Formats: sequence, structure tokens, C-alpha cells
Amino acid sequence: MIGHLIAGGKRLFGLHRPRRELVILPDDVFLTSFPKSGNTWTRFLVANLAFPEKNPDFGNLEQLVPDPAATSKRDLDRMPRPRIIKSHECFDPRYPRVIYIVRDPRDVVVSQYHYHRKCKKIDDNFPMAKFVARFIAGETCPHGSWGENVATWLVTRQNDSRFLLLRYEDMLSDTAGALAKIAAFLSIPATGERIARAIERSSVGQMRKLEKTQSEKCELTKDTRQDLSFVRAASAGGWRSDLQDTLVAEIEAAWGPLMRHLGYELDSRPGSDSGSSSPIGLVLNGASR
Amino acid sequence: MIKRLIGGSKRAFGMHRPGRNLDVYPDDVFLVSYPKSGNTWTRFLVANLVFPEKNVDFSNLNDLTPDPEAMSKRNLAEVPRPRIIKSHQYFDPRYQRVIYIVRDPRDVVLSQYHFDIKRQAIEEKFPLESYVGRFLRGEDDRPYGTWAENVASWLYVRGTHPGFLLIRYELLQSHGMKELAKIARFFGIAADESRLKFALEQSSADRMRELEKKQAHLWSSTRETRQDKPFVRAAKSGGWKSELPQSSIAELEKAWGKLMTDLGYQLSTRSATESSSSSAPQLATVGAAPEGRYSE
Repeated sequence: MIGHLIAGGKRLFGLHRPRRELVILPDDVFLTSFPKSGNTWTRFLVANLAFPEKNPDFGNLEQLVPDPAATSKRDLDRMPRPRIIKSHECFDPRYPRVIYIVRDPRDVVVSQYHYHRKCKKIDDNFPMAKFVARFIAGETCPHGSWGENVATWLVTRQNDSRFLLLRYEDMLSDTAGALAKIAAFLSIPATGERIARAIERSSVGQMRKLEKTQSEKCELTKDTRQDLSFVRAASAGGWRSDLQDTLVAEIEAAWGPLMRHLGYELDSRPGSDSGSSSPIGLVLNGASR
Repeated sequence: MIKRLIGGSKRAFGMHRPGRNLDVYPDDVFLVSYPKSGNTWTRFLVANLVFPEKNVDFSNLNDLTPDPEAMSKRNLAEVPRPRIIKSHQYFDPRYQRVIYIVRDPRDVVLSQYHFDIKRQAIEEKFPLESYVGRFLRGEDDRPYGTWAENVASWLYVRGTHPGFLLIRYELLQSHGMKELAKIARFFGIAADESRLKFALEQSSADRMRELEKKQAHLWSSTRETRQDKPFVRAAKSGGWKSELPQSSIAELEKAWGKLMTDLGYQLSTRSATESSSSSAPQLATVGAAPEGRYSE
């Protein structure tokens, strides 16, 4: 009851975090991804591109590219427009324009495993096999499974001019190319020089340096273990050494067709091409909960 | 400010309607569909099937198959579990058990047009053609996405999931016993023929019309609407063939042809099949479905 009253009072003054109840404006752009898919890096890139004069860092990232799960309604209402908003939500038809970042789920699960250690949600010796099973079942975060999150967006918005799909791996290998696409999508007239500077200021080295001094200021890292870093490998393909073959096979069995559609080559050869023969051609065959 | 004060205190006592922010329990079963796709009929069917002793009508429909858009958070929390919840929501990862009812969008738009006249969202003379355009672009006051967004977000994501049952409105009409038996199995109800038959009879269009005449004032979806127009309207499929302008049919099929075909809805314009892949809201580029899987 007391909890209800406090929540009610917070709401009265707009101090609550709106999350899915965010009031969406027609010129909003959403930076969307499943968790641990390069969203924070992209926020840095976008913030450095759009607001170079603000010196984006972990201290002001929440003001520049806010997260409705970490910023109050009042602050979100008062932001200059057009807003660029961070999100991990599954498909939401109200989002007017979306930059969607997708990452190889085999790397996502490794990244999420380490992030959950950092957040003290699991022990250091938590079995990876168990984590992968929960990951496939969509039980590691409240945003659906990786397959569900990605598929809800692709089946509704892929090839739509209001939707920009970026692969984390492509962003790593050609950051300038990806950021130029983002700049065009945001209608930011960006010279090569401006893009290069944004990339430099969002580099892994720079982000690691900032994290060391600002980790307590940032919603993503405060109250987490300080002996583990938020900015971890920042690379692609780590799953090849970090994930057992059987776990790789489990992920590929759940989401093979969707992964292939995104250009993620499968490592295991599951008994025939189960994907193309699955009933309604589905992206997600075996993902049972 | 006053409004927020009222909103805040309503919330403090759980008197607000949660809608999409419903607290979901793992044993909840959801009856999901786009609006005007046979959801109310299915609620009658399911309520009569699961609670044959309850004398299902418009006055107790919300108690038996609760609607988070029409009921308070507190009332919803008091519903005995497992709850059977009505929903029009696009994909929600928290819904674990879903019966999704899909209906031919060419009929859905007609039904929605007439319902919008009944609830005075549009005037009686509103041109049907521009209504179809708005329907296609998702430009109305309904927060559920477009028909195709709503359907695709479930179908292509949960289509083969054991906790998901796809029911086609048209098959429910033509093969009621068979389809209702699927629903019974989904609920784990051992329903013999007489129980299925009872549920179908108690939920017939005629019976629902009779009930509506007496109870329109008792139910959230009809209470504040024009009483000269019925909620239970044609209750038929294929009305679009005579009632929709040819250009509107072509427009719908051009935009959503692929998805309609995947669902077994035959396109009437030949060109739609070929051009649907190049039209604006592109759907289902991820998977290819064998044609007519859900047709009879």
C-alpha cells in the first residue's frame, strides 16, 4: 500500500520512469536492440555524431539518448526534439522511426552471461549450459527471447523506409559506413571528418577509459560489481572459443532460419534443413519455453 | 494537474485499467485477435465451453473472460486462476498461452467501419474508400498496430510454438465443432460432442443478438454506443466481395498479399501476388509458408 502511494505520488510529479508507457512523439527516433547487442556503443556513436559539443560520456548519455526505463517522465517530456530514445522493446507499432541493431545471438548470450555476473544476477561459476537454455527460452530478460525480439521487428518493418537495420558485426568492420547510414537516417549532414571524430570518441579504448572514472554515475553500471567491466570484449565471434559446440548447436536449432536470414553462418548442421520445411515457414522453430 | 492527481490516486488504489500493462501470470491464457475478428464470439464460445454452468451472457462475459481495457487492475487481480483474458495486443513476450483468432482483413475492415459508425468515431456517410486507406496505414485511435503488424507479430514469431493456437474465424464458422474441439484440447478440457454442441448453440449469432437487445447497456463495448446499430452484425465471412470497392480490395491485397496468402486467404486481384513484395509495409520476408496451410 505504501509502495502504491509512493508510486502514485511520483507519478503525480512525473518522477516515475515511464518505460512502455512513454508518450511517443511523431518525430521520435528509437535506437532499438535486444540487450547486449551493441546498443550502448551505438548510443555513444549517435550522441557524438548528433551532439559533439556536449562531450558525451557515461555521465550525460542518459540526457542525450535517454532510456525510458532509466529516465523520469518529466525529463523525457522536457527533452529537446527530435528525441533519440534507447529501447530494448519487442515490436511496438507506435515507434515512428527505428534504428534496429542486431547481433549474432551466439555472441549475445556470452555477453549477457558476463553482464549478469557483473550485475550479481548469477555467480561466477554459473553453468553456461544452464544460461544458454534460459537465454533460448527468453528468461534472461523481460524483452522476449533474442529470436522473438528480432523477428517481431523484421516481420513487421524490414524494408520499410522508417526502419534501419544494422548488424553489430558490420558496424565493427565498417563503422564509418554504418554511421553514415545512421546520419542519413537522422538527417544529420555529416562530413567524413565529423563521422571520424564521432567514431574516435566512441572507441572501445575511449569507452573503457570513461567507464573507469564514471562507472558510478551511469545507470548501466552503478550498483554492479566494479571488478568486472561493462565494456568487455567489443568484438565479434568470441563464441567460437567461449561456447561449447553443443550450446552453439542448441542456439542454431532454435533460431537457424532467422540467423541465416541475417547472414549469420551456422556452425552445426542440424538434421537436414529443418528451417525451410517448418510449417508456416517460421523463423523460430524450436524455441520452446 | 488535476487529471494527474486523479490518475495518480486511482493508480494508488488499483482502480485504473491496465491495458497493455496488465500484470501477467504464467498460467494466464490469452484470447488474442485484432479488433473485429470474432473475439467476442470466441469469448462466448470459450466461456460456454469452460463454464457451462454459468449462463454466459453480456452481463458476465467480462467476469469470465476479463478484458484489461475495460476492468480495473484490482478486479483483474481478483479473477480466479487460471484466467482467460481477452486481448487485442500485438506481440507481448509475456503471454505464454495464446489462442490467436485471425480473420480476413477485407472483412475486418468492413466490420470495423460499421463498428466505428456505431461508436460514433466516424459519421454514417464517411467514405469507405478513405476508411480502408486509414485502416491500411493504421491511422485510427486503436493502439494495436495495423492488421498485418498485429497478425505477423504473433504468427511468424509464435506460429509453431506449443503454447500458441491459431484459429481462423472463417473455419470457426464453417467447421465449428472441429475448431472448438481444438480449443478444448488447448485448455485440456475433455469435451464430448454434446458439450461442444452446447457451447456452439449458446454462442450462436441469433442468441447473441437476442442477448444484445436486452443487455447492450450492461456491457463495456456497447454501453455508450448508438443503440440503433447492433454490435452483433452480419457474423458472416466474405461480405467484402459485395461491399468493398474493387480499388480498396486491390489496395489491401497489394499491401498484405503475402501474409494473406500464408493464412490461406485467396487473393482476388492477380497482380497483388506479384506486386505485394514491392509494396510499402513489407511483411514476412523472413519465412516462406507453404500455401494454404490453414485453409480447409
